[in-house]
Amino acid sequence: MQRKRVIALLVFTLVLALGAISVSAATKTARIKVEGMHCKACATSITKALKATAGVEKAEVSYETAEAVIQYDDQKVTEAKLREVINGTGFKAVGD
Amino acid sequence: MVKAVVFATLLIILPAVAAGQNSEAPALALKDLRGRTIRVSDYKGKVVLLNFWATWCPPCRAEMPDLVKWQRQYRSQGLQVIGITYPPSELKAVRQFIRSIGVNYPVLLGSEETKLLFDPGKTLPFTVVIDREGKIRDKIEGIVLPEEFEQKVKPLLQ
Repeated sequence: MQRKRVIALLVFTLVLALGAISVSAATKTARIKVEGMHCKACATSITKALKATAGVEKAEVSYETAEAVIQYDDQKVTEAKLREVINGTGFKAVGD
Repeated sequence: MVKAVVFATLLIILPAVAAGQNSEAPALALKDLRGRTIRVSDYKGKVVLLNFWATWCPPCRAEMPDLVKWQRQYRSQGLQVIGITYPPSELKAVRQFIRSIGVNYPVLLGSEETKLLFDPGKTLPFTVVIDREGKIRDKIEGIVLPEEFEQKVKPLLQ
């Protein structure tokens, strides 16, 4: 009886752990260099467009570092799509 | 010197009095590219999108094809887009750009002070949504996304 309980507990813990792993595996961070920003306000349109993209969980765009840091669900959106969204705001996503 | 003092005073005062949401849109009379004076109040009865933009602003250029499309699509329902340039702007560059993308709405020549009437910030593009009664219904910082147009502008056209 005791042994069954231990096994059940182990299985339960394993299920929880696997669930957590699959969730974290779906969330990725992309760092994309952006060309063409000439003032802080430029970041507004890029941030807005990224946040409106399905699958984007968090987006921060910095004029100072000319970089967009995006947390996204890779089951819903790809990095290539994120680059496309940035390019669609009139700026240019550079690098790989 | 006097001009500098007046401008500095405007910079301090205007943000404090920048027209807020649901307030009457300020009376604006600006020159268009042909030198004619256009009053925004002439468009009362229409849903007006006042779009502040500049030729040197990449997102401004990127959003303009959508504004052209919406103007064409919703003109009959009472939509009127009005572009207002933000300095520094060269008339020649403005003319060339609007011709290249086939802008189908009036473009007026604005200044920093014009934008300060609506917004203390420096974000471009910046769009003010004015309803048929001439009241400011929304202010949109950055590109007007299609979903924002759906949510903030289309209901006013019905």
